[in-house]
Amino acid sequence: MTSQAPAIEVRGLRKTYHRAFRKGGTEALRGMDLTVPEGSAFGLIGPNGAGKTTFIKSILGIVQPTEGAIRVLGGSPEDPRIRARIGYLPERLHLPGTWTAPAFLATVTRLKGLPVDPAVNLRLLERVGLSDAVGRRIGGYSKGMRQRLGLAAALVGTPSLLVLDEPTDGIDPMGRMEVRRILQEEVRRGTTLFLNSHLLAETERVCDRVAILAGGRVVREGRLEDLARGGVRWLVRFAPGANTEALAAAGFLRGAAEGQYAVEAEDPAALNGALDRARAAGALMVELRRDGTDLESVLMGTVEAAA
Amino acid sequence: MKPVLGIAGYVLREAMSRKFILAFMVGITLVLTVVALSLRIEVVDGALAASRLFGEELRNSIRSVDVALRPVYQAAAFLVFYGGILFGIVACSDFAPSLMSPGRIEHLLALPIQRWHLLAGTFLGVMVLALGGTLYGTTGLVLIFGVKAGYWTAGPLIAGLLACVGFAAVYAVMLTAATLVRSAALCAASGFVFLVGGIIAGYRQQLTPFFEEGLGREAFRAVTLVLPRLSALAMAAGDIAASTPLEVHSLGMLLLGVLVFGFGALAVGFWRFEGKDY
Repeated sequence: MTSQAPAIEVRGLRKTYHRAFRKGGTEALRGMDLTVPEGSAFGLIGPNGAGKTTFIKSILGIVQPTEGAIRVLGGSPEDPRIRARIGYLPERLHLPGTWTAPAFLATVTRLKGLPVDPAVNLRLLERVGLSDAVGRRIGGYSKGMRQRLGLAAALVGTPSLLVLDEPTDGIDPMGRMEVRRILQEEVRRGTTLFLNSHLLAETERVCDRVAILAGGRVVREGRLEDLARGGVRWLVRFAPGANTEALAAAGFLRGAAEGQYAVEAEDPAALNGALDRARAAGALMVELRRDGTDLESVLMGTVEAAA
Repeated sequence: MKPVLGIAGYVLREAMSRKFILAFMVGITLVLTVVALSLRIEVVDGALAASRLFGEELRNSIRSVDVALRPVYQAAAFLVFYGGILFGIVACSDFAPSLMSPGRIEHLLALPIQRWHLLAGTFLGVMVLALGGTLYGTTGLVLIFGVKAGYWTAGPLIAGLLACVGFAAVYAVMLTAATLVRSAALCAASGFVFLVGGIIAGYRQQLTPFFEEGLGREAFRAVTLVLPRLSALAMAAGDIAASTPLEVHSLGMLLLGVLVFGFGALAVGFWRFEGKDY
């Protein structure tokens, strides 16, 4: 396995916003360290005011850090050659209402220094589900359609890094599935995905790594399955008619729902041993899952602990 | 240079979609059409023998065409200069604040362009718009009078170009104001203040005696010294349009002063924009 340079590497990042005629300032980032591996789907989550948007703007050169080092795709975010390899969708993308989507994409393509190919841009619009709206003015688009167009603009020039701030905001459930599919396709293609979404379920479904930001610092970071992993507890559901006493003797504790039990097992052998004992007692297993913690609980627990 | 042209194209496309600017272009066209259709000029041996406007005879002594058209071209030059700059202040006040609006500026700054490209492109786009509108109006006027009176002069076109130079200085201030405060109203107000200041600066010699000697007079002198002498430029434009001798001592120095002021204002804007967080 070869070691790859990280897509984003941030060390000791601080950002203090100063206001005219005011002493001091507001500290948005307080010494943030973060490494986003190349090719990963990385989610940034945290409460409001944690510094997520400031961080995203910092890695794109939109906000200039007070202190610290930022490297994106092996270079400085101030370098236009680096930014040419980044696709960005801001949280509230303001689009020119009187333009059509192909005209907007053509302008973005030109500003990215790429030759304009109407057929390529049309395919991009089809990909994000806007093929029926190419002739309409953007001003007549719904919020979801605007988000899709923003995503298409971010995908112009097949970027190596996609930075998306609330990409599914305003998109209906079917549209979210489509957006998720596009993002997963991009990750499979090798694109690094950096996602900021308040929809934790979205982050869980798309990302393989997550960082939790609170008070301008990364308070927890790692693989999603490691963060959300429960202990040694498993949840089992048996078909109706299972013998509760026999199951209790086999180590299964009855849960709140009908037929639901919990069992603790350190390893697969212990788990299968417990299940064999339950089956020997006549219980028929219909469902088995690890008693993991969802991302919401991880976020709540981490933020509360950091406070 | 390509990104600057790209941003200029962005601004021009925005401008073309604005009803206000389209209405202005239609307005110029209508005025030119009405003048072309309603004005009848009879020229005999290079002299204006008779002229009719809306069928009514305009009583004038017989004069050579160039002399007869002087006041027309001079009035047109003043109208283009002051009217054009005022319209430009109002019509273009929103371009820079709109480009710097939340959700748009982040998107633009994340593209592979330098920050100065964005300001330079906006400036260029607005100047192309101003130049296009001015040349459209003045060329139309020259064509109408050229065809009807047989008198051809590039004076009004040059006067129009001088108006564009004046507007460039005013818009440089407006663009810089937009980098300080993202507000179309403040942007327009700054342009208007500098237009008035520029008019006063052109008459600084005549106005200085109205201030009491001492701090007040020196302050007036100091402030008007750095301002572009827009009224002097307008006078020069009027003289050129009417093909009369220039009243200003040196048009070159006057233009240089206006350009230096414009570049100075732009430099402040570029410096502010480079260090600003969005």
